[in-house]
Amino acid sequence: MSRTYRALVVDDEELARAVVKEHLASHPEVEVVGECANGFEAVKAVSDHQPDLLFLDIQMPKLDGFEVLELIDDPKARNRHPAVVFITAFDQHALKAFEAHAVDYVLKPFSEARFEEALAKAKAKADAGTPTVAHPAELSAKAREAWPLERIVVRDGAKVSLIPLAKLDYVQGADDYVELRSEGRSFLKQQTMASLESQLDPSRFLRIHRSVILQMDRLVRLEQLPSESWVAVLSDGTKLPVSKSGMARVKEFLGEAR
Amino acid sequence: MALHPILSSPPRRLAYFMAWVPLAGLLGVMAGLQGWTFAESLLVAVAFSAVGSLICLTSWFICKALPVREGRLFRPASAWAAAALVDGGIWTGAVAGLVALLRDVPRFAALPAKLPKALPILWVLAVLLYLASVGLNYAILATEQAREAERRQLESQLLAQEAELRALRAQLNPHFLFNALNSISALTSADPKKAREMCVLLSEFLRRSLAMGERSGIALKEELDLVRNYLAIEQIRFGTRLVLEWDVAEAALPAQLPPLLLQPLAENAIKHGISGLTEGGVVRITVKSSEEQRVDVAVENPFDPDQPAKKGLGLGLRQVRQRLQGRFGSRAAVETRVSEGHHKVLLSFPLEVP
Repeated sequence: MSRTYRALVVDDEELARAVVKEHLASHPEVEVVGECANGFEAVKAVSDHQPDLLFLDIQMPKLDGFEVLELIDDPKARNRHPAVVFITAFDQHALKAFEAHAVDYVLKPFSEARFEEALAKAKAKADAGTPTVAHPAELSAKAREAWPLERIVVRDGAKVSLIPLAKLDYVQGADDYVELRSEGRSFLKQQTMASLESQLDPSRFLRIHRSVILQMDRLVRLEQLPSESWVAVLSDGTKLPVSKSGMARVKEFLGEAR
Repeated sequence: MALHPILSSPPRRLAYFMAWVPLAGLLGVMAGLQGWTFAESLLVAVAFSAVGSLICLTSWFICKALPVREGRLFRPASAWAAAALVDGGIWTGAVAGLVALLRDVPRFAALPAKLPKALPILWVLAVLLYLASVGLNYAILATEQAREAERRQLESQLLAQEAELRALRAQLNPHFLFNALNSISALTSADPKKAREMCVLLSEFLRRSLAMGERSGIALKEELDLVRNYLAIEQIRFGTRLVLEWDVAEAALPAQLPPLLLQPLAENAIKHGISGLTEGGVVRITVKSSEEQRVDVAVENPFDPDQPAKKGLGLGLRQVRQRLQGRFGSRAAVETRVSEGHHKVLLSFPLEVP
């Protein structure tokens, strides 16, 4: 007997969910294990139900579809990832991002044929156990190109945190992770420094070291160590290393600010 | 050749000729002081002023033909000087000619002997008056140019507004259209009657907003009908998540305003408010009319303060403000009030009926 697929349908509009479920109803091998009306519910439902297929709307309350994708991404368990099909009304920038990342998407309203095609592809991906999106944070960054990032979503186990950029003090990088420091707390997120740096507003955030991005209004003074290297001292007393090229950028930044 | 602007309107014509009366009076008094008789003084003063008032009008055409440009004053200045000397000559010559013609009239018989002494002074006066008329003409030209520039600017503003309106219409939020069509797609099997209702609502909405864009002003009632139409579509899409509250004062309904002004506000209330809320909320539209013949419209909606602001909100509001003030100037006001999860836009404009 061929396998069955567990599907999760996420859309804030009941009618939009209904049309997806209706199409799935003619596929006995697909079982709809849940439906969600917002991003938070979706993140929880993915970890609760471990679906094989995820039909995901983009514009939703709480968390949007890209943020959901970032949050369900667990690099240690990529083979357990659901195959994602984005279902969206037209949004040019998002479409470009999908194409660049070879992510499947269906435009609302869609034909049965188009839906079948996307479903077949998603099932094939689920069978092969390949991750849907290699770098969800980068896809999200690309889809948002048109407007600057306003907050960062982080997940720790079942807990989802939203860090508004105004409350982000600095970021330290380690391998594929970034450690985000906000209000004395620390959040880990799987993203590269370069990718995060490209999303942040350069008039507020500066890469002062290969592994440090600083929100510049937190900087109180710069100190030179006996070894001639520099450290940045923040308003809460934290000291961060400043590299040689970082120092040049800091000088340029402060020169411009003056 | 266009008529002199002074001659083109009766009140201006009258004012111009009246301005010569005190001059004639002054001349007459001066002649009287020289020992001329009353009749002699009167004749010369009236003749001089009458001829002058006509000759000074001719300077208009020289001024029009020789516009003053910065750094290029020599040519027009020499032309004015030459014209002033020649026309001053013709002017005094005409007075002298008249006096010569009247030498047989007994009371003017002594005049031909007295006049030559006065002629140089009259000629200098004529030249100066002619130059003064040149100055006056340039002042008129400059005002006309300024008025013309203002008119052109207004015209281009109007054109820009029209273009903007056309763009607004073309830009009828595609997101809204595709989502509405998706709702229809979902309803066709689940609730065919409702699907048909939505098709009709959507068609009506499109037809109305296209027709409205063609016009420069509409009655508030028509705009509110469009908003009702729009919200009825969103009501089907959002179901119980969208609650609508209306409070409309009948007296305000005939008020005129630019079209498609409130519909974008209702759209913002959905896009930036209701659609970001899991539980949805109330969109409240209030229209009041005051005794001071003013209309106050408020569009209120809740929003999720944790949600990052979506792009486009500021732009839409700015357009609304520009278009309302384009029509009513400082008599219109647009105000936005944002407090903890609540967004309110207030429009206030004069109640004008066609």
